[in-house]
Amino acid sequence: MSSLRVTGLRVRHRKTLALDSLDLALGTGVHGLLGPNGAGKTSLIRVLATVARPDSGRVELLGDDIAGHRALAGVRRRLGYLPQEFGYYPGFTVREFVAYVAWLKEVPAARVPAAVERAVARVGLADRVDAKVRTLSGGMVRRVGIAQAIVNDPDVLLLDEPTAGLDPEQRVEFRELLRELGTSSTVVVSTHLVEDVAAACTEVTLLDGGRIAYRGTPEALSLLGERAGGPGDHPIERGYTAALRAHRAPGAREAVR
Amino acid sequence: MTRRERRHWHVSDDLVTRYAAGDLPEPDAWSLEKHVEDCAGCASRVSAAVRGTAAGAVLARVRAAVLESAPAPAVSPAPTAPRAPGASPAPAASRGPAASPAPAGSGAPAGRPAPAPTPAPTRAPAPPAPPAPAARPALSRLARLLWAAGPAVRGAWLPAVLVVAAAALSLSYLAGFAGARALLLAVAPVMPVAGVALSYGPHADPLHEVAAATPGGGLRLALTRTVAVLAVCVPLLTLAGLLLPASGAPAAAAWLLPGLALALASMALASFVGCRVAAGVTGGGWLCAVLAPVAVAPGAAVTARLSEQLSRCLDGTATQAAWAAAAVLSAALLALRRPAYDRPLRP
Repeated sequence: MSSLRVTGLRVRHRKTLALDSLDLALGTGVHGLLGPNGAGKTSLIRVLATVARPDSGRVELLGDDIAGHRALAGVRRRLGYLPQEFGYYPGFTVREFVAYVAWLKEVPAARVPAAVERAVARVGLADRVDAKVRTLSGGMVRRVGIAQAIVNDPDVLLLDEPTAGLDPEQRVEFRELLRELGTSSTVVVSTHLVEDVAAACTEVTLLDGGRIAYRGTPEALSLLGERAGGPGDHPIERGYTAALRAHRAPGAREAVR
Repeated sequence: MTRRERRHWHVSDDLVTRYAAGDLPEPDAWSLEKHVEDCAGCASRVSAAVRGTAAGAVLARVRAAVLESAPAPAVSPAPTAPRAPGASPAPAASRGPAASPAPAGSGAPAGRPAPAPTPAPTRAPAPPAPPAPAARPALSRLARLLWAAGPAVRGAWLPAVLVVAAAALSLSYLAGFAGARALLLAVAPVMPVAGVALSYGPHADPLHEVAAATPGGGLRLALTRTVAVLAVCVPLLTLAGLLLPASGAPAAAAWLLPGLALALASMALASFVGCRVAAGVTGGGWLCAVLAPVAVAPGAAVTARLSEQLSRCLDGTATQAAWAAAAVLSAALLALRRPAYDRPLRP
């Protein structure tokens, strides 16, 4: 049962084709989205977050086609999204900010205070809940961004580069949170950091040039790296470069899928 | 959880007695209150002393009444709820499972900076917030409306409205300029339009990308911000107009329907071309219509001609009815174009 299904997706971004006839189905679990810069990771996440409109293709979230106005509102109530460039209101406290997003997500008013406390505690900011967002460090702001994404206990959670700006310890904690979230919902994490994928993801999708270059488990990707012996310091890094090379090799475009 | 190294002193018995009696000088009372936010020992002593006073008896009754009327264990304190000085150190035992424990290992990451010197009390351990009826729906709805409006009335727009009102008043009363009301009425209908353009959309709202993925981030948010913008500039500019001598200009409230019509027209137009262009078209169009005859033939009687042109645009039942009709039509178009607000508007 996939909570997230994409067929024939094409997205243009500034006159270039960011995603090219992409087919993807994702279910419960943590899905890592890897790929070089410009591979289409952010374009895909923005389409899945219902922010960008695809040029063609069909996007189904939680069983509903999101082209319709009515279905869209229902899907969005069950969606969490952390954009790559995460803006915030500096004068708001963490509590006010997360509550404001809860209001936008139409969380019932009576549940908002408890939902905010819980979301802030889950990202480890309980002791800063009444601090102004502008007094927080970059990593803490990032965690506020994660808190706003999970405040409605989303069934589909989309995180674009969530670990950017987190220190190593915070990243370890964050992976723990990801694994926990992935037991009940569909989590898609775009990242540059291959170690994050190895540690927290149940499945990897490698994008290159707007197409899927590889899909499999992190273990399978590591195994591919050990067999193919591409450059890299970590088995999964070697797997990453090997899969990219295989995808880019002439004539291999359709084969690796 | 957070250790405060800067704590040098504790509240002496003398201070406690004088605080409870209410004759501690204000600065001392403030330091005491700040201290008891973090120090459980002093908090309980002060709390006990305050409970012994007449005010304490009243507080106890209020607390009992509140606890009786509160349906469920309200977990979170309303962020805007004021904290009564006597009540804040009150025992917080009744507050159910408030601060759920943070995930393992998140206690004190190494890289965490020292607590900021701003008044950001760390309330995590045993939040001493008053057991107020925090989740009372009306109050929290108002609070959330203010949050939503907050970003709308920020930045350059609010000062601009204040400057317009103040400039009109000072032109009239300090410089003795007779056409101040006419000028104010010429500019006033543009202010709501500008406010909407500066508060909604990808170029104006830092949170727009997040809001665009939520069910309430489209037209609902745009309308909330418009209402906030109107709530600020309608009373302010109308009052300023009333304070100015008429000298031939239309009534001070004559701009209200045009202002509403232009704001709604901007929002409807924004669904096609984006907020900024839409505001430029409607606001610029209005200014051209009002100021063009004055600019075309500048002469001695500029103010008289401005007043005359404004009268044509604003005075009379038929004119006002036409503005009302324009507002209704714009609202209808906006309702039709509602799905366009489901995705981010053009920048």
